[in-house]
Amino acid sequence: MSNRLPAGLDRGSIAILRAVIAAIRPRGSGFDQPIDDEVLHAVDGFLRHVPAPLRLGLPFGLRLLEWGPIVFSRPRRATRLSRLPREEGERYLEGWLEAGGLRGTLVLGLRTLVFMAFYQHPTVLESLGVDWQGRARERIARRTELLREGA
Amino acid sequence: MSAEPGSVPPEWRIDYPNVERAKDARSHATYAAEVLVVGSGAGGAVAAAAFAEMGFDVLMIEEGDLHRTESFTTDPPTMLQRLYRDAGTSAIFGTPPILFAEGRCVGGSTVINGGMCWRTPERVLESWQRDFGLPDVSPRAMEPHFERAESILHAEPNHPDTYGRHAHRFLDGVHKLGWSVDVNRRNMRRCVGLNNCALGCPTGAKQSMLVTEVPRALAGGARLLTGARVSRVRFSGSRAVGVTGVLLGENDRPAFRFDAFAPLVVLAAGARHTPGILMRSRVRASALGRHLRTHPNAKVVGVFDEPLDPWIGAHQTHQVHQFLDDGILIAYAAVPPGMLAMGLPGLGAVHARLMRQYNHMLTAATLVEDTGSGRVRLGPDREPFMTFALSPQDVETIHRGVALTSELMFAAGARRVLLPFAHLPAIESADEIGRIASLARKPGAIELMTVHIMGSARMSVRAADGVVDESGRVHGVAGLAVVDASLFPSSIGVNPMESIVALALRNVERLAATLRRPRATRSAAAAGGDRAA
Repeated sequence: MSNRLPAGLDRGSIAILRAVIAAIRPRGSGFDQPIDDEVLHAVDGFLRHVPAPLRLGLPFGLRLLEWGPIVFSRPRRATRLSRLPREEGERYLEGWLEAGGLRGTLVLGLRTLVFMAFYQHPTVLESLGVDWQGRARERIARRTELLREGA
Repeated sequence: MSAEPGSVPPEWRIDYPNVERAKDARSHATYAAEVLVVGSGAGGAVAAAAFAEMGFDVLMIEEGDLHRTESFTTDPPTMLQRLYRDAGTSAIFGTPPILFAEGRCVGGSTVINGGMCWRTPERVLESWQRDFGLPDVSPRAMEPHFERAESILHAEPNHPDTYGRHAHRFLDGVHKLGWSVDVNRRNMRRCVGLNNCALGCPTGAKQSMLVTEVPRALAGGARLLTGARVSRVRFSGSRAVGVTGVLLGENDRPAFRFDAFAPLVVLAAGARHTPGILMRSRVRASALGRHLRTHPNAKVVGVFDEPLDPWIGAHQTHQVHQFLDDGILIAYAAVPPGMLAMGLPGLGAVHARLMRQYNHMLTAATLVEDTGSGRVRLGPDREPFMTFALSPQDVETIHRGVALTSELMFAAGARRVLLPFAHLPAIESADEIGRIASLARKPGAIELMTVHIMGSARMSVRAADGVVDESGRVHGVAGLAVVDASLFPSSIGVNPMESIVALALRNVERLAATLRRPRATRSAAAAGGDRAA
């Protein structure tokens, strides 16, 4: 686990992003790897590549998510996302997804990044029995051999 | 490269001479050439190589970097950030939003596509001729261009030893239903079924522009400027004379301005950024940015009792074209867990339960020849963004395509099928397929993605309803042309790479005829010889 904070986001955004990751990340079914910090860093890595308006708008979007339970939860909750129990946070984000529009797009984008980072983590791939990198080494050698043989 | 020939794939030893990296620039730069080609994907690289081999002094300008074959890995986060625009996080706004991905690297989207080579369907070419007055796009007239395109792309079918279990399951389903199946020809040279196509092929088998036309252009004397973003076209009166843009420094931050001048500017930046450049250049055309088509793709995932190990075997070896005249293409494609995960419903424990079955999944999709209305516009930051609304017909076609694909899955032995509908996420047996037809039509509840956009600077002989003429020249502007999928007059319903290449080859011949003889041949003639003779 890394104690290093992501460089691309302010501390407030990082705290909200941690709550988002906790609500979105897979749980159970053999997916309980303690890799939230790595996922956070991987998400931060992606965010550096998104278009500037989205990158600049993200802190605002995250704060809307954070304080959204007061406005968007049914029933309304006088609390913040980062203080909601994890399961409730998950239901709250599902509500945003179903709402569509910009709210839905924001959660869809965050969900995409969290899942990409989580399921491609080496420990998760190993738990799935997927060894793409090992197969790549073997296939590169095999093709080289086939071409050498003129196949 | 120091490796001995024969010890590594030949694509690892390719030379890339005449390449200038914007990151190495220390000040504003100015370039001059006879032809500027903006973009190095299927259209741009082919055009650059063709012009270079005719003897023209060509400068290719690419926004992404040059990533060599041997640098490709199987790690999606790493490769998405290196090879994709916006690290693969782009979307087309609308209801529903459509996830969209395109390449941003030398070789463009050909580096990260599945390599499928399909000709434009004949009925589509006939409609272009009939509805847009385009001469010489009939199937017969396009035949030599398709043949040449297939030769350039090295289009060949996969060797059967590369079929994975998922491919066999797909074929089982098709055969049980008595459907016809079409063998993909893909741009590859002895694919070995690694299935890393979407992240760059480290085996070198995929014959993308990175390993074919870009090196050919460079060997022909073309130059390549990487990491340079074109802002707009420069004009002198109604004639294009060059482009201006920014050289990107570390972290892709604009570092310096650049100008490049040439009598011919060829845009091949894709159906989002080509119209974006034209809009920033204040090109006036009522069709500019309109008529965007997205060839949306709805995922259908079959869950099987036996393991299919979808990460073993070629990316996609077959498609079903039986329903193409109805606007439906059915194909399967195995993708890494992190990429499949995006398309499965739910969060937390619900998603985990689905993904635990990854090795038992066959991922297919129905791709729809769309008729809805899409548009490219400039945002407040002057960058192009896309919007798209499905037509009622598109929604119907998606429902029908998903039902057909589900039928295929159950025929292949699936015990459960995951659907792209929020209000019907899964069905458990073939008896439930009827529920798809009776499902309320809610576009916002359909999950879609695309890698095929087109039509945003479409070709027509009439300036009133097209942006470019029958040769790809921008109406009303001399010295400015388009050679990417922006110029398709309508959705073509199949993977677009071969159509882009064929039209680029056709249009380059026509564009070259309007230019002065290349400087190289003029100077050779002045010296007493004539290369063109």
